[in-house]
Amino acid sequence: MQRFLFRLATIAIGLLFAQPPAVAASSSDDPWWSFQQPLRPAKPKVSGVDWPRNPIDRFVLARLEQAGFQPAPPADHVTLIRRASFDLTGLPPSLSRVDALLADRSPDAYERLIDELLASPHFGERWGRHWLDVARYADSTGGEMDLARPVWHYRDWVIDAFNSNLPFDKFIVWQVAGDLLPDATKEQQIATGFYRCGVFDPLIGNGANEIARLESLVDRVNTTGTAFLGLTLACAQCHDHKYDPISTEEYYQLFAFFNDTDDVHLGLPTKADFERQKANRELIKVLQNELEEYKTKSAGKVRRWELNLSQAEHDGLPKEVQKALEVGVEIRSPENAAVVAVAFFAQDTGHQTRREAIRRLESEAPKSEPAPVMAQSAVQRATHVYDSGDFHSAGEVVAPDFPEALGLDFPNPEGQPLNRLDLAHWLVDPQNPLTARVIVNRVWQHYFGRGLVPTENDFGQRGTLPTHPELLDWIAVEFVESGWDWKALHRLILTSATYQQSSRPRAELSDIDPHNTMLARQARLRLEAEIIRDVSLAAAGLLNRKLGGPTVFPYQPSGVLDSRATKVEWIESEGADRYRRGMYTHQWRLTPHPFYRTFDAPEALTSCTRRYRSNTPLQALTLLNDPSFVEAAVALADRVLSEQHEDDKRLELVFRLGLTRTPSPVETQRLSELLRVRRAEFRQHPQRATKLLQAWKSSPAMPEQAQELAAWTATCRAVMNLDEFITRE
Amino acid sequence: MALPRRRFFYRLGQGLGSVALPWLINTTSSPAATAADGPPTAAHLLPRAKNVIYLFMVGGPSQLDMFDYKPVLAKYAGEPLPESLRKYSNFAQIKEREPKIFPSPWSFSRFGDSGRYVSELMPHFGKIVDEVAIIRTVKTKETVHPFAEMLFNTGYREYGKPSMGAWVTYGLGTESKDFPAYIVMQSGSRLRAKGANYSNGFLPPSYQGVPLRDGSEPILNLQNPAGVSSEHQRDVVQAVAELNNLRSGQLGDTAIEARTRAYELAFRMQSSAPELMDLRGESPATLASYGVDPSRPSFSRNCLIARRLVEKGVRFVQLFHGDWDHHGDIASALPNSCRDVDQACAALVIDLKQRGLLDDTLVIFAGEFGRTSVAQQQVSGSIGRDHHIEAFSIWLAGGGVRSGYTFGATDELGVYATENSVDVHDLHATILYALGLDHEHLTYRFQGRDFRLTDVYGNVRQELFV
Repeated sequence: MQRFLFRLATIAIGLLFAQPPAVAASSSDDPWWSFQQPLRPAKPKVSGVDWPRNPIDRFVLARLEQAGFQPAPPADHVTLIRRASFDLTGLPPSLSRVDALLADRSPDAYERLIDELLASPHFGERWGRHWLDVARYADSTGGEMDLARPVWHYRDWVIDAFNSNLPFDKFIVWQVAGDLLPDATKEQQIATGFYRCGVFDPLIGNGANEIARLESLVDRVNTTGTAFLGLTLACAQCHDHKYDPISTEEYYQLFAFFNDTDDVHLGLPTKADFERQKANRELIKVLQNELEEYKTKSAGKVRRWELNLSQAEHDGLPKEVQKALEVGVEIRSPENAAVVAVAFFAQDTGHQTRREAIRRLESEAPKSEPAPVMAQSAVQRATHVYDSGDFHSAGEVVAPDFPEALGLDFPNPEGQPLNRLDLAHWLVDPQNPLTARVIVNRVWQHYFGRGLVPTENDFGQRGTLPTHPELLDWIAVEFVESGWDWKALHRLILTSATYQQSSRPRAELSDIDPHNTMLARQARLRLEAEIIRDVSLAAAGLLNRKLGGPTVFPYQPSGVLDSRATKVEWIESEGADRYRRGMYTHQWRLTPHPFYRTFDAPEALTSCTRRYRSNTPLQALTLLNDPSFVEAAVALADRVLSEQHEDDKRLELVFRLGLTRTPSPVETQRLSELLRVRRAEFRQHPQRATKLLQAWKSSPAMPEQAQELAAWTATCRAVMNLDEFITRE
Repeated sequence: MALPRRRFFYRLGQGLGSVALPWLINTTSSPAATAADGPPTAAHLLPRAKNVIYLFMVGGPSQLDMFDYKPVLAKYAGEPLPESLRKYSNFAQIKEREPKIFPSPWSFSRFGDSGRYVSELMPHFGKIVDEVAIIRTVKTKETVHPFAEMLFNTGYREYGKPSMGAWVTYGLGTESKDFPAYIVMQSGSRLRAKGANYSNGFLPPSYQGVPLRDGSEPILNLQNPAGVSSEHQRDVVQAVAELNNLRSGQLGDTAIEARTRAYELAFRMQSSAPELMDLRGESPATLASYGVDPSRPSFSRNCLIARRLVEKGVRFVQLFHGDWDHHGDIASALPNSCRDVDQACAALVIDLKQRGLLDDTLVIFAGEFGRTSVAQQQVSGSIGRDHHIEAFSIWLAGGGVRSGYTFGATDELGVYATENSVDVHDLHATILYALGLDHEHLTYRFQGRDFRLTDVYGNVRQELFV
């Protein structure tokens, strides 16, 4: 009660002064800033009244003006459409859309573009993949055995949730406790797959299954802390948190929320699937009976066939059959009679047609891959505090409860023990000081390369303070009050002038603000691994834009899966499945596809809230020499040769497909030179062209055409290796 | 208008000076917010060693049949452990209530001036026994392979932590202009925790171990695409560099220059890596001493390549070789495993010494644990040894380590340490010390905490140094 009154007082004071909570605790008795509920701050006054497009800009501009600086000029429309397309869909814009935007003089041209991109089904893929990093998503269990775990239903649910703009509080609640909602739908249950994405190692603890289970709960508590609260709860597993007010007891109270949970599989075929399956089964039975009947009735046919065999036909039969035929029908053994009958039916169309009909029905049966989900356990398990995190030394028993320090009065209905659904509701309670801030901050980080709280994974006392505390709180409150409207949050940020600034580094600020904490410009960011694959395929015109479904197996260098404890094969996908988006490539957690690791895709061992953007020679070697990229370069060359007919036009098209913008005369000149020299080489060494084009499905028949395609491939490789090709500006 | 042409390829022949970054380039977006500071790239203490060759024996070699001579075991052959040790039950697989003592089936004799006992399975080791320090009492906490591997290689029993090689390259940078600072090779091994053993963990990706692959392409995508001549490739890379520079000039973004430098190094690696793997320049005597068939991938070949890498300034070379997990049929399996490594390990130490590299290079030979002095009886009737974590032997050579020295001792049945137990963290602290790194100061801030290779443990065992 006292705490409640205290909060009332704080809120009142807060309202009175309309000030954000003090960032650095002024006295050690105050709760840490991020443990206090965010209140909507007043928008600051600024002198530059023309610049702000929405409230975000007021906060940013106020800070800049305070430091005596102005924002950067807006990026041009070509840069903007490329930036927004990458950020919202992970794909380059179509050239026709670029042209349309450039021709559109209406004041809301850009806003309409953003709405269009938000409505694109690829929005769910792009932001779904960001969330899957947090969910430590992979397609196998990890651990020594690294067994297959088809959790892609969950992945598809995430994509759908973002595309259908499921309010983010629901997005969280379903993942934490969708199975406990009244009359839980299939989707709500699949959402709990979030907690089934982590490493599970049955060999842990010397084969004691209970230890393996407890370890997987540790992963769930830690993931909860990272994903929703931005807290390093993991520290408190073995000892009271050294820096944040989280005790070991509280750690195991959170642990207790997950202890009464079982890992189960949800069979997924729909009711219609089941009905069709049932009908198929019955039909198959009927056809099989009919087939047996046909076979019994065919005795006479077999005899006639045998008698009418020509010498040539007889000699063409397998030795075994010839031998069986040596014995007269009357004294033939049942075994030999069967051999003869099999030989007859193998060539009998009546039999074959019937077999084929059955086979077709059998293959039509829906292939269901059950989805791993959570379910409330029938047994109740006591949760202990484990001394030093050692599962062999169980201490006192604790019940599910929330960390005290977050200062959130949460109703405990009629003394019922709290369950996972309460945890879910607690996470999204408007008074929860962390969740909205943490989510909003991570979204911001994806758009600016850096969060308003730069330590996006630590909002605790060892984390870095927010660069714009009022802005963070304003957006967080706005987000919650909008009903956790996911797409509105994105629209808000993307339509701000802050987002639309040029990313060009500003010399006058390079010393004063090297990390751009003042947001005096946008950021140039290297694209993520999956997106690098996607933009290459998109430029080449190869990309298969199919959404969701089971994982695919594009080209992978040999040897990656050698020396696994569980042997698996990488059977390369065929046809259009080879060109699916990067996020659908199968990920064996222990032996991931090397391309993705080279470009810093997470290892999926723990929740990943920020990827590195490294720059290594292995990346250069990949873009230069990896067969997938060579193939894309040939495809791009092929596309350009068929769509344009003059060198300069073609060069312009390569540039636009690769970089969205048109080349400068200097750039055209340099690439023309490359083209000229390569043409000469391939004319002199036509076999080199033939070899290079082996990477492509259809090499032109005429040697001149092949040489031309090869020379253009060289040009396309150059463009696809430019820094700008894999950078969002 | 002419391009502001930088004479890109003229620079390829020049050294790049003393740039001390693992890839010679910085990350375009270093996690400045989580890292307390940039990498230290300087030793804290007087360094004894500059480089490391770490021979990791996957599966846990049997110290009692190789290094730690226990004649008393023969006296108790077939008997259960004595009353005082009955409580010992930290077995991974043995389910028997009273497993029987199993003396080494192999004979031991004294070698070198130090007169230390070495098993007949390791005749070549006898030749270098005066060059190495043997630690008989290494202790670990994990009895299960993947966790024991990770504890031994990263200091933590779980996934996601930086490996020792990553910490060392983070601490010291590289001196190689043609290679990554941390290189990994594998032979015959079945590493259970795979890449987690040479991962950068939460350190920037440039500190990860780069595995060299067998065959003609030691690094992925090293070869030009089919039909692309080296002149063609050079032309493309040059065009990329020029156009990048143009952009970089317009935008003033140094990240673009870093990208261009990565292309330069990539282009150099396309020739330097195949040269590295081409052993034709090695004398027949050298090849014979290692027992290398240049055309066949093997642990021996990897040892020779490790020496060549150290010569080129690569900071940390880690070899994984297995499988030493002899739960059954140890009588025929262990001699084979020893034969696979014994000659090459000895040759490596001798070769490094002859070339004057041993003083600067710390060689480590270790597995994730040792094996029990009691027998593991298989259903098939064959006999092996189970995992043993209380005390097992490893050896160190070079890098200022006291040669011909034995540290620690185990009881007469080879179960526990009787003196100078060295746990995994002590070993890590000691290895960092050899490199001039203070294990308490080599830290990296991640999720609000300053992490170390040694977690919150580790004592340097200075007795191991001259």
